[in-house]
Amino acid sequence: MLLELTGFTDVVMSNEVDVFSGSKHESDAKEFETRGVTVYARRPA
Amino acid sequence: MRTRWRHDDGHTARRPQEVTTEIGVSRIDRAELRRFISEKYGEVATNPELGFHFHTGRPLALMLGYPAALLDKLPAGNLASFAGTGNPFLFGDLRPGERVVDVGCGTGLDTLIAAQQVGPSGRVIAVDMTAEMRQKTREGVDEMRLSNVEVREGFAETLPVDDGSADVVISNGVVNLCPDKLAVFREMLRVLKPGGRIQIGDILVHKEVPQDSKDDIALWSG
Repeated sequence: MLLELTGFTDVVMSNEVDVFSGSKHESDAKEFETRGVTVYARRPA
Repeated sequence: MRTRWRHDDGHTARRPQEVTTEIGVSRIDRAELRRFISEKYGEVATNPELGFHFHTGRPLALMLGYPAALLDKLPAGNLASFAGTGNPFLFGDLRPGERVVDVGCGTGLDTLIAAQQVGPSGRVIAVDMTAEMRQKTREGVDEMRLSNVEVREGFAETLPVDDGSADVVISNGVVNLCPDKLAVFREMLRVLKPGGRIQIGDILVHKEVPQDSKDDIALWSG
């Protein structure tokens, strides 16, 4: 994962959310299985 | 280094086949892409009622887990143009006194929440490349009479922020709009203090995106 390659550690991801469901972008989002997510990571001390 | 994939239901999450935060190769001219995105999000800031290819406003914020009571206390104009893809505060409130950088602050919804959480002893630097977004954020800051927010013009890849100055970097729906994601994450790392953290919302793409789609500028901003 790019975050770890960059130097971040302790990476945690939230549940995914289907943020494009019902939007005009829904078909494109479904085609590529696009989901919203929130990520936590730390810079090493 | 260890990556954990947290699911509230206790199930083990699968690792995404492709994450938009990985290095993507697009032949789109970067300056042209910035202009296109800035125009699109300028419209979101000034005319949220137009309707876009993605959700906006209060319904989106509720979908992403922002408490209704919290949203009720924010200026309507900032909420109406909200266009995030996650919720940086899912991983906990920010602490009083913390120094925060909001990368691509948009209309400032997260900036306003962060400023309240860190309080008068803390500070939020809100960065955005789009003038309309910065103006909207400033209007919200003024309406809420917050004295601990500074709005700056800048790009996610070259943040106008000192090295090692932030306790937290937040961002919401911005990294996916940047072709050079490595540069964005390097900047976030640079501005963080040792031990500092990021809490960022963005999008995952589980299927390989074909080259012609990566080169379709309209798909970059929905």
